[in-house]
Order: sequence, then C-alpha cells, then structure tokens
Amino acid sequence: MVGEVVQRIDAKGKVSGRTLFPSDLWMDGMLWVEVVRSVVPHAKIKSIDVSRAEAAEGVARVLTANDVPGLNAFGIQVQDMPVLCKDFVRYAGDAVALVGAGSKEQARRAASMVKVDLIELEPVWDPELAMSPACKPLHPGGNVLHARHFHKGDCGLGFQKAERVFEQVYQAQMMDHAFLETEAGLCYYDEDGLLTVESCGQSVFRDRLQIARALGLPLEQVRVKSPALGGGFGGKDEITVQIYLALMTYHTKRPSKIVLDRVQSMLSHTKRHPVKMYYKTGVTKSGKLTALQARIIADTGAYASLGPAVLDVMVEHAAGPYFVPNVKIDAFSVYTNNGFSGAFRGFGCTQAAFAMESQMGVMARALRMDPLKFRLQNVLHQNDTACLGNRMEMEVGAEQTLQAARAGRLYSQRRRLRKNRTGLNPYKAASMKKGVGVACTMKSCGLGAGVIDQAGVRLRLHPDGRITVSISTTEMGQGCHSVFQNMVASRFDLPAEKITLVSSDTLLAPDSGPTSASRSTFAVGRALMLAADKLESCLFGLARRDAADACEHIALRGHVFEIGNEQIELEALLEDQSVVADAVFPMPEAEVTMTEGMPHRVFSYATHVCLVQVDTMTGEVTLEAIEAYLECGNVVDMPGLEGQSEGGIAQGLGYALFEEVLLDRGRFVTTNFDRYVLPSSLDVPESIRTVAVMRGEVPSPHDAKGAGEIVTVGVAPAIINAIEDALGIRFYTLPVRPEHILNVLEADRE
Amino acid sequence: MKPTVYLKINGVVIPVEVDVDERLVDTLRERVGLTGTKEGCRIGECGACSVLMDGKLVASCLVLTVAAEGAQITTVEGLESAGGLNDLQKAFVEQNAVQCGYCTPGMVMASTHLLSRYRRPTTKQIREGLSGNICRCTGYVRIVSAVRKTAFRRAKRRDGR
Repeated sequence: MVGEVVQRIDAKGKVSGRTLFPSDLWMDGMLWVEVVRSVVPHAKIKSIDVSRAEAAEGVARVLTANDVPGLNAFGIQVQDMPVLCKDFVRYAGDAVALVGAGSKEQARRAASMVKVDLIELEPVWDPELAMSPACKPLHPGGNVLHARHFHKGDCGLGFQKAERVFEQVYQAQMMDHAFLETEAGLCYYDEDGLLTVESCGQSVFRDRLQIARALGLPLEQVRVKSPALGGGFGGKDEITVQIYLALMTYHTKRPSKIVLDRVQSMLSHTKRHPVKMYYKTGVTKSGKLTALQARIIADTGAYASLGPAVLDVMVEHAAGPYFVPNVKIDAFSVYTNNGFSGAFRGFGCTQAAFAMESQMGVMARALRMDPLKFRLQNVLHQNDTACLGNRMEMEVGAEQTLQAARAGRLYSQRRRLRKNRTGLNPYKAASMKKGVGVACTMKSCGLGAGVIDQAGVRLRLHPDGRITVSISTTEMGQGCHSVFQNMVASRFDLPAEKITLVSSDTLLAPDSGPTSASRSTFAVGRALMLAADKLESCLFGLARRDAADACEHIALRGHVFEIGNEQIELEALLEDQSVVADAVFPMPEAEVTMTEGMPHRVFSYATHVCLVQVDTMTGEVTLEAIEAYLECGNVVDMPGLEGQSEGGIAQGLGYALFEEVLLDRGRFVTTNFDRYVLPSSLDVPESIRTVAVMRGEVPSPHDAKGAGEIVTVGVAPAIINAIEDALGIRFYTLPVRPEHILNVLEADRE
Repeated sequence: MKPTVYLKINGVVIPVEVDVDERLVDTLRERVGLTGTKEGCRIGECGACSVLMDGKLVASCLVLTVAAEGAQITTVEGLESAGGLNDLQKAFVEQNAVQCGYCTPGMVMASTHLLSRYRRPTTKQIREGLSGNICRCTGYVRIVSAVRKTAFRRAKRRDGR
C-alpha cells in the first residue's frame, strides 16, 4: 500500500558500516590524486613549474592544462570553468595542477612542490561594483552572466492603487551544502576497457557528457557510476572531482583515487548564491496586494555552473504563492571572484522566499492584519496568473496548507504560547521573549519549459516474480530508491524485498535525467508506472498471442497474472525467460514556454509555522517548535517525507540563524566545521510536526510530487517572522546571529 | 622503518605497520580495511570518525595510531551480534534514523557510548550526548528516538529478568 511504513532499502548496509561510499572505494595499484589550487582569488598565471613535484618520491604523474586533451572547460549550463587553469585563476580554490602518487602523503607532499608563478590582480568581490562598466570583466562576455527583465500588468498603476507601499532591501548569505562526505571517487578501466568513473555525481549521464567532452573521448568510451553518496543537496550536481580522476587514469592507465579533505571541499564546490533583493510592494488598506517590484542581484562567483537557472527560479518564485496583479522584476546574476555558486536545495527559491515572506510579514504587521488571514486573502489559485504572467495550470495547494496551519496548535494557540514561561526561573523568564512566525512557499518540480526533462526507466520481471528496477537516479540520502521500490511493489502487490534496484550506472541503467529539481518522485515515478503498464501488456501478449480482445482486465498481482477472471501462474507463463519493459516519461511542460526553463507547470507547496524563544540578555534564538504543512501530492513514503521535512528544517534553521560562508575580499575565511558551524542535535526543536495535506482521495503514485526542496524554503522566513513577533524587531539580513540581535536591542535601549 | 603496532580492534589483535604520525582513522580505513568508520572534517568537529577506545568515545581523526596500542578499540563493524544487527542498529533502521548514512556509523558509536553511561537517558541527555556528531540530513529527530527506544527496550528486558 502506498504511504504505509516502509523500511529503507539502504538502511541495513548503512547502519552496519558495510555500504561503500565513493570515499570507501579502493583498488590495488591505484594512484592518489591531489589537486593543486590557487590560494588567491584573482591572478594571471605566469608559469607553472612541476619539475620538483614530478621528481618527488612516489609521484607517477603531474598534470596541468596542457594535459587536458579535449575541452578544458566544464559547466552544466555554460562551459566557462577550466578543468585546470591555464591563463587566469578566478577564485581562491581554482585548480591549477593534479598530482598522482602512490600514497596520499606522497601526493600531498608533491602537490606542495608545484610552483605557480602568479601576478595577483585586484579581486572583484562586490557584485554591484562588478556590474558597473568601470569594472574589468572576469570573462569575455562581461560580468553580467545572466539578466532577466519581466513585467506583468503595469507596476506604476499598481502602486497608484496601493494605499501603502513598502520598500526593503534583503540580503541572504552564501551557504555551504556541508554534505558530510566530501567529494571522492575512484577511476579505472573496466573489463571492457571503458574509462570508468565511480564517483559522487548526482547525475551520471550529464557527468559522462562533461567528462567525455574534457577528455575528447566518445561518450561510449566513458562509464560513470554513482554509489550511495554521503549527501548532496545540489552540491554534487556540478562536476566536482570526476574529470580530475578521469584525466589521471587516462594518462597513467592506472586506477586513481581522490578524497578531498574538508578544506579543499569547502573551497571547491558550488555554494548557495549570496543575493541582494530590493523589494517594493503595494497593498490596499484591506490587504490586497497590488504590485511587486523587485531588483535582484545574485553573486554567482567566478563561474556560471547553474547560475542562470538559479536566477530564473528566483525570478519565477519572486512573488511566492500569491496573486500579484502587477509585477516588474529585474534580476542579474553577476560574476565576481567570490568562490562560485550554483545548485543548492531550494535553488533560488530559498532566497526569494526569504524576501517575499519577510515582506508579507512587514505588510501584515503594518496593516494590523492576522498574518495567516493576510496570506489567505492573497494566495494563488488555479488559473490565476503567476508572477511571470503565466497561468497556474494545475491545482494550487498553497491555500490548503494555510488552512491546515491555521487549525494547527502553534497558530491557534499562539497568544498563549507567546506568554508561556513554564520551566523558566523568574530571572530567566524576564529576559525571554517568544514569538510565532509563519511562511507560505512554493517550489517548482522539474527543469522548466523548453528544457529536455525526461525520465527513462526499465523494469525486468523474472519468472519467480522478482522485479529489477533500473534507473539512474542517485541515492544521496533523500530516499528515492525506497520510494521507487515502494511504488513498484505496491503497483504489483509484491513485498518490497522482491524488488531490486540497478542504479546510477551509465552502462547498465537508462537515463533518468538529473537527480535534482524535486523531479525524481514525479518524473521517475510516473515512468515506472508507464513501464508497469507495458509489462502487463507484454504478459498479455505472451498469454494470448492470438487474442485481439485487449479491453479485458489485466493485472499482475504478485506471481499471478490475471486476465479477466482467469489466473495464470507467472512461472508457467514465462517458463525461464524474463520480460523487460522500458518507458520514458517527459516532465509535463507549461502551456507556454517563456524562455528556456521558464515557467514550470508542477509545484509543491508548504506553510511553516514556528515558535521561537529569544533570550534578550544573550541574543540567543531557540527554535522551540515547528509545524510543516506540505502539499506535495500523494505521499508515497510518509516516514521518508517526515525525514526530509526534519532535515530541511535543520538546514533552514542553520540558514536563518548561523551558517555563513565568510570571504575576505575573495579569500575564504570559513574552510572547515570549526568556523562554519552546523546545526547540532541541541539546535533542532524537540517538537517537529509534519503534516501532508493531501488532495486526492486514494493515494496513488500517479499523484506524487517532489518534496526534497519545499521542506526547507519556508523555514528561514518563518523563523525571521517569529523573531519579529517576539521582539518587534525585523531583520533584513541573514543569518541573524546573537550579536546582531544584541546590537539592535542595545541601539533600541539607547 | 615503520613501527609495528598491535591494535585490539573489535576483539581481535591486529599487527599493523604504521607511520609515527598516522591517525587512527587512516589506519582503520586504509590499512585494516574497516571503512565503516568515516572521515568528515579531520579536526574532531563532526564525529563521523567516532570509535570507542576502552569504552570511551573518541574522534579517531585526533588519535595517533601509536597511542592506541593496547587499547580495546570498537568500531561499527564490531557491534553486530550473532551475524546480525544489534538492537540499537535495528532501532536506527526501524525509526528511519538513516538518510545518506555517512554520519550513521559515528552516530551509532556515540549512541552506544551514551547508552553505556545512562540506562534510561532523558531526551536532554540524548541530545547532549549526540551533539558532537553532525548529521546534515535527518534533523536528528529520528536518531534521538532510535536511542530512546533502545534504552526503553533494554530497561524493559532488564526489568523482565
């Protein structure tokens, strides 16, 4: 039964320590690869001297830009990032050379002997300055990587109609994925002579393309596999170490292994974009939104990666799940020397949600309106025009999540909860303030209109009733493999253990598309259902080779195939062969393509309500309780969804209150977990309640949507709104650390 | 010449030749082949490399292998009993306390240690006891319930006797 308690397919291996992650892979005779990186954010390369490193003990090979046989560049959208830098380095962490040696220590020692002669250049670290014509461009096309200008209706008129107009500037920080396993992998020639990269990528087929392109090899000569990943969150969406490994094995014909240490990892993968958002909204006295004008500047860092797409999603979600008749948005993704940013769970939506939901809080407060009522009054409905002027073609679940939240404990009892001081001594009680905050958000599923977005799957039915599911969706903790297993098992009334998975291997599994954008449950799930139908048709063909009557009831139930009232044992039907069914499901596109990737058709929705306590003596904020009301279609795996929700809340909490990648004029200050502090078991609330707001009556995998991102986007704004409720002070910049709170409180006292 | 160190890992004495500055996590993973113990930060901040040394919880990235000689070392591979998961591991599976699984071995070791200190830990004691182990996926809720459940069941078993 869909939605019932399922045990994760991968839990036993992980809890016993037996599961092999990319960093655990090992092969005799392998070389350890070490990356030589720039420590300065911007420089011209005069020369690279590898002679000492080459002569060092244990070293097999040192590689530089000259050893990249194909295109010395990669990037999912724009290939502007050198595999190994030749002329310029553009961020503090840019790769310059690779060392392959017999041991990790030998590789490390030799890497320190590579002499890179640089002429340092002034780093560009302020995105607004980077946009000015006076600033020297970091790339030939100028510093504006991507710009979007959208308008719907007439903003001027909208503001005229407004009785109150609110203008604020919001700033969101750079954030690190901090997946617990750093980038790692192993590369070797497999038994068929294919250059095989077994590594940490979220999307094996796209990685194969990028690897093959850099090596100048035909796609068929490269094989990419992803075993279980120790977390991803979008940080392993772009190429990380795959091309380094492939290059080393290609040149030495020896297996090669890499494991980045945390410092190298934090320097070298994409981040969540730091963004400055100028928001202006107009509203009538009765609380109807009339206009939104936004100017958004995203610091994309040194290279493009998915920067353009992240900006587009930010723009598309700029107004949140609300109907705003007049909208004008000008958005820019700008090159600087601040690391480089790209995909991160929420994908631009997170930043926009912080600005819009804060703005909703500002307006509700100013109008003295109930924050939930104010949101309900403006919420989007099906067939409304969304932010970009596109029609919301599918049912909009935002209202249901708001209604459910209104009935929930935190919201309905907020007045009592605010005053509740139980468990505190009188001295402490006097300094504690409590508040309840709300945020309502939406997040698109899939890659958007005009982009190839399809999921291929294969089912193989064995005569004994077992089914092998082949997909290339990477399991990185999100539980997708259990979702697929559960979907197929329930489709055929089979126990879960009869379903085995072949996954994420370009040689053995079909292309299911990237593991990103909250698309897997939706697209791969539906492809599996298509393949299941096909499988039954095949069985029908086998049973009735001559029968033309195809409208009979047919179903595979466990090891019995039913045709009308007739039941045929699978083994008798199949003898000793197996049946294979392939299917491809294209993600449904919006009726009108506005630009590549815009708009989306499918969205998930959420309302988060939280209770915080602020200690006015220390500035410390405690998230005491949170409720998440999620509308992500019918739920395939409820414990899995709860787990996603709880993890998403922890990440949102870190984003709201302390996580921040700090740079000093392009140089990273936070390079390990001593300075980059992550939420611990003491930071998360004891009370987390996740409620799935379902629309359909009968749970069915046909109605499941993505949930991996929607669970986190509303968390930070809900917390910021709760802090405002507690203190009467609004914060416009993330994260809100104790010192920020104390500074404002002190300024207020004076 | 590299010194030979006799390590007692999961009840078995294993002689290993190590570098004098080698860290226990590397010896376990790369020389002994016990890759259940993970590395996350190399500075003792994340807890992924947690193992027990004479019953104490240590970050094996901060322990030199030569200093571990003579100590009883327990890694996640040493927890299984009679060829199957132990009760704590089973509770992790059943409570859905595992997502990406990379923190899990360290988390299980920290929980093992916690349950050896407290027979019936309070939620606060569990949260404090696991606060040295970072999990980026789960939000900790289910890990805490797995530990609480195990403590409850063990207490029940003891009382039953």
